[in-house]
Amino acid sequence: MNKFKAATAELPKTQTTFGNKLKRFLKRNWGGWAIMLPSLVLFAFFIWVPLFENISYSFYEIKRFERQSFVGFDNYARVFRDPAFGKAVLNTFLYAVWSIAIGFLLPLFLGLLLSETVHFKGFFRLGMYIPNIISGIAVVLMWTNILDGSNGSMINGFLSIFGAGPVTVLSDSKWVIPVIVLVMTWRGAGGTVLIYLSALQTVDSTLYEVAKLDGAGVLRRIWNVTLPSIRPTIKLLFLLQIISVFQVFYEPMVMTAGGPDNASISLMYLCYKYTFIDRDPGAGAAVGVMLALIIGALSVVYFALNRRVKQ
Amino acid sequence: MKKKLICLAIVTVMMCALLCACQPDNGKIKISVGFWPENSQKSDVAMYEEWKANFEADYPQYEIVAEPYQYSPETVAAKGNTGNLPTIFQTYFTEPAMLIEEGYIRDITDQVSELGWLDKIDDSMREQLTVDGKLYGIPRDGYGMGLFINLELMYDMGLIDKKADGTYKIYDDNGDPLYPTTFQQITEICRLTAETYDNTYGILILSANKQGGWQLANMGWNFGTKALEVKENGKWTAHLDDNGMVQALGWIQELAQEGLCYPGTSLNYNDWPAKVGSDGVVMAFVGNDALAQPITSYGFNKDDFAFVPMPTGDGTSRYALFGGTPYVFADNATDEQVEGALRFLKYIGRSPETDEIAVAALEKGFTVAQSKGMPILPTIKAWKNEDYLAIADEMENRYVNVNYEYFKDFFDTIHTMRHDEEPYYCQDLYGLLDNAIQSVLSKPASANPLTALQTQNSLFQSIYLDRVN
Repeated sequence: MNKFKAATAELPKTQTTFGNKLKRFLKRNWGGWAIMLPSLVLFAFFIWVPLFENISYSFYEIKRFERQSFVGFDNYARVFRDPAFGKAVLNTFLYAVWSIAIGFLLPLFLGLLLSETVHFKGFFRLGMYIPNIISGIAVVLMWTNILDGSNGSMINGFLSIFGAGPVTVLSDSKWVIPVIVLVMTWRGAGGTVLIYLSALQTVDSTLYEVAKLDGAGVLRRIWNVTLPSIRPTIKLLFLLQIISVFQVFYEPMVMTAGGPDNASISLMYLCYKYTFIDRDPGAGAAVGVMLALIIGALSVVYFALNRRVKQ
Repeated sequence: MKKKLICLAIVTVMMCALLCACQPDNGKIKISVGFWPENSQKSDVAMYEEWKANFEADYPQYEIVAEPYQYSPETVAAKGNTGNLPTIFQTYFTEPAMLIEEGYIRDITDQVSELGWLDKIDDSMREQLTVDGKLYGIPRDGYGMGLFINLELMYDMGLIDKKADGTYKIYDDNGDPLYPTTFQQITEICRLTAETYDNTYGILILSANKQGGWQLANMGWNFGTKALEVKENGKWTAHLDDNGMVQALGWIQELAQEGLCYPGTSLNYNDWPAKVGSDGVVMAFVGNDALAQPITSYGFNKDDFAFVPMPTGDGTSRYALFGGTPYVFADNATDEQVEGALRFLKYIGRSPETDEIAVAALEKGFTVAQSKGMPILPTIKAWKNEDYLAIADEMENRYVNVNYEYFKDFFDTIHTMRHDEEPYYCQDLYGLLDNAIQSVLSKPASANPLTALQTQNSLFQSIYLDRVN
């Protein structure tokens, strides 16, 4: 009994409430928290508040960016009825597919080539990275001019030397998306190549030597040594690529205005169009929510597949 | 202690920086001017600075603040919702209904009446700027759509001759025009262009930024369509798939099939000066208020082009889309600001006044345009009072620096050919017509103009016109 009393008498001193724990945690790391505070405030202000506002907007009739009345799923229904939405969903998936076919494999290939380069490595590295430092809008404007469908454009002038052309790829609904992805890849591949390159440099060279001794050729070494060694990087970049391409916006906006006849319109561009051109922020918010759900679902699928592969 | 001192010093520096950023309030009524020229336009800025100085000297209670803002339907929402629209800014005649509905601009009837200007505004323009009996804007000028023709290329192709004095002969000996007056004639010239040149096309057809639709509406009227929005049984109905519109889109399809128009499905109004200025096209449909652009931006010779009336498609219908630029006033502008901004219009030569200040400002505009080598042409005036018209016409005649014969037919017929734009959601209508044009330009061999227009017609009815009904 005495023992029990003694134990309970001790309780208030040793009991650790959540508040105390938090206080101690903050006290122990106050320097770190002080450094992070501005970023946290900005993050909350610029990311979380707009995110929740957007979700809320999608259920309201909006005028001058202020809620007028709750309309339930009306905004979603209106978006679903618009033929442009179906096209935008399909196009966004097409952007993703073409982006994997072109934008995902090409940097990996270039990274492998660059890692094997002996001479002028710095030159090639810089050359590949330069498009990254040019403004995105400047890049798409430049390519829009190069790919202009007239006889006098750069691409058609070049093709005419060989008696080919003229081509009007930006006006062709079949080719417009792959061409836009190609331009996006031209600009963005350099940065991805450098990430691959740094991953490739961490591969243990003794693995290559052992593989060589076992008689493995170049392709076999890449398949059995290189790719497994940099798999985490490949997976990360794959996911980032999907997420970023689902948000493709200014490239179709500047190069084709989403055309011809909505053949290159993306979900992000449709969201902008509803909000700022059609002055229907409720519908724009609904598209934003649906886009977030699609990306979230893809991420879940990706992680589930990844876990299964690991097992 | 040291840490505290450092923190104190940082806070002091930040506070000082904040205070330095604050401008002292001089107690004057500020008028921000959205149509103020951009800094890169040195001579225009100097002219506006002079006008500002004159105004502020006469009205010391006001301060004019430069706030260049190029209106666009995409940016007005962001500025309007945050209360950042300039006190006075320019827009299009198609916009006031939307701007009023969204609450971005204010009623100025009382202020304009007080100045005695209300009855001096051109009747048609005033009607377009009046909603429910209230005036929401002051017209700057009007424009009519017409056909820009590169005369040098026409001469080079043997379609026109030169007179003894070296000028182009655009009428035959009977006085009939040698320039195209029908869409069929345009097609013929386009065919000849394709046979003659490798890198020059007959005509530029716009297809993006709502400007393709803007042109297609005019073509549709000229192929026989009366209106794209019709009030039937008390309800507004869309007529985008009217026979005239189908014919007009079919004409574009024919050009695209034969490769006669400049290729592309994202061509907009910013492209035309470059395509014309680089001899990329022989003809383009443009507004008369934009004719200076190829000359000032691309070095096109001002004596080598003509601007003629829109052609007819069905042989009888011949209209020129009539639009213009009004000055409108931000919703949060006070009565005093509106009064000041209206008075400032006199100091820049954009009022119906004819006193010394107004006339000097009007003349200043001409002399600066002349010094920049701009083509000086007649304009479609916003005011109808005879004393103003007499002075403005006399000044135009004195400064006009192009061969007026190349423009005469357009200006002689614009008042009978003018066709106002559609009353509701006009810019949105143009945007949907862009899609129809793009669909025939991207698949000229297989596209069906009727189907393309029917699709856009049902969208326009359900998304926009039903809002009005």
